[in-house]
Amino acid sequence: MWSTRRWLSVFRWLGARAENMAVAMLAAMFLTFVLQIVSRYVLNHPIGWTLELCLTLWVWIVFWGSAFCVRDHDHVTFDVLYLSVGRRTRQVFAIVTAVAIVVGLLASFPATWDYITFYKIKKSATLKIRLDYVFSVYAIFAVAVIARYAVRIATLIRNGAPEDSPEADSP
Amino acid sequence: MSLEFTLCLLALFVLAGIGTPVAYSILLASLVYLAVAGQDLALTAEQILQGLYESFILLAVPLFIVAANIMNAGTISERLLNFCVAAVGRFRGGLGHVNVVASLIFSGMSGSAVADAAGIGKIMIGMMTKDGRYSPGYAAAITAASATIGPVIPPSIPMVLYALVSDTSIGYLFLGGVLPGFVMGVVLMAMNYYLAARRGTALESPVPLRHLPQHTITAFPALLMPAILLYGIYGGVTTPTEAAAVAAAYALILAALFYRALSFRSLYQILAGSVRSSAAVGLVIGGALILNYIVASENIPTKMAGALVGLEVTPIAFMIGVNILLLLLGCVLDATTIILVIIPLFLPTCRQLGIDLIYFGVIAVVNCMVGLITPPYGILLFVINAVTRISLREIIAEVWPFLGVLILAVLMMIFVPDFILWLPRVFGYSG
Repeated sequence: MWSTRRWLSVFRWLGARAENMAVAMLAAMFLTFVLQIVSRYVLNHPIGWTLELCLTLWVWIVFWGSAFCVRDHDHVTFDVLYLSVGRRTRQVFAIVTAVAIVVGLLASFPATWDYITFYKIKKSATLKIRLDYVFSVYAIFAVAVIARYAVRIATLIRNGAPEDSPEADSP
Repeated sequence: MSLEFTLCLLALFVLAGIGTPVAYSILLASLVYLAVAGQDLALTAEQILQGLYESFILLAVPLFIVAANIMNAGTISERLLNFCVAAVGRFRGGLGHVNVVASLIFSGMSGSAVADAAGIGKIMIGMMTKDGRYSPGYAAAITAASATIGPVIPPSIPMVLYALVSDTSIGYLFLGGVLPGFVMGVVLMAMNYYLAARRGTALESPVPLRHLPQHTITAFPALLMPAILLYGIYGGVTTPTEAAAVAAAYALILAALFYRALSFRSLYQILAGSVRSSAAVGLVIGGALILNYIVASENIPTKMAGALVGLEVTPIAFMIGVNILLLLLGCVLDATTIILVIIPLFLPTCRQLGIDLIYFGVIAVVNCMVGLITPPYGILLFVINAVTRISLREIIAEVWPFLGVLILAVLMMIFVPDFILWLPRVFGYSG
């Protein structure tokens, strides 16, 4: 069996690669946009596929980034109440949050999966990418978030609420 | 109000209240709605995915974030500060004026109040408190107050979000924000002058005027950015989204080639930071898309419009009521949430009362920004408290006069719509 520390280092490595991927997508989106502008205004020869590629990358950046890169304090959170209660209550709050997210995303997963796979029959307008591939990032997002908050429930029960922020850094 | 909608709101408030990230709270609340109403649970994913995949203007959000982060990194901020000190540092309350002018200029590039306060604001507070000339509380308070100008002067992410929910032109919204932004700057400087005179704050030794051209030349390319942006949009050269890309490209070229202040490594860090902000904002936008779908299918905005118009509220009374509400909400919610979730509720009423949507949008954005410094829960107060360790009590004690003049400025904009609408009309807005 691998030790916890070894697992942690594997996760850290994977997290860094996920960030590489996200940065690559953002850079690609930016360059595609510049290409679109140059082709349209400088070369007077607009390219059709650039816009669609940007929109696809944007969807991927949002969900891939939310799944693997966004840290808890990056989230927009309303934490006045949370910060004003004691550590014991915080633990309860944080567990309710994590359980709600896990239950909600699990419950909606089958229907969401059907929705995404249904799109295998449809392709995007110009690049002809199958739309189930485009939308599959939502499934990746859902699985990653379920896993992350499931681990957090265990951590919260064992260690209690973290000190300062509403939630501990990701497992 | 139907049972499913009541439960949806209950879930939303309870979850958000106990500290669940707002995006997840909305997502879960929408699932509660769909489950109780017996609808397909996949609708949540469908609304977010389709909404993000189809709205071209949202692409401006990550691009503006990249532009802002590039501008805030590197030495561009220092050059701008040197220019501001040379230009307005000589007057009474000198560094306070520098603070406001720096925010005015910076707002032309960052479009984010929190970024302004954390970046240039921190440097400014250090300068103001160095010789004990200004109390830490005063320095922090004027920094927080002047950071609110950021998202009012274009480019502005909150205005892009408002354009999304209200179907108005980003270009005219941006133009509408220009004069109000300057008005905010002027009232803050007036208050700073008054307080400095009353407290007898010592004068700075002025930077010799012959150095001013030199400082202007180094700062000039950065000063040009808002002009390029506005020319791109209003000259009809580019769409606002493309202008956002141009802004980011310009910032990149400026930082990397002209100022030579950008390494490959720091560029990677900037992009990684931008991914995190874009993804977090994107998720809230996605949540707002579902919530707006639910609110629309419950027909809430139209019912509200009917009720308010039935009461024969005058447009001015309506504007004042809404603004009081927004100011109060601004103390507890952040601007993104207010603009995406609360504002759409009022838009049908605005249309029925004949209130111009550009006018309404600019005032709503200004008001949300003022809400950011309204005690007890103004987010900017917390940001400055976190980056400088100046106590909240000290900041809050000094922020009241600035808050007061900003609220006066909002009132002035409400009663004199021309402050907002004059510039868009010059550029052909027909409203």
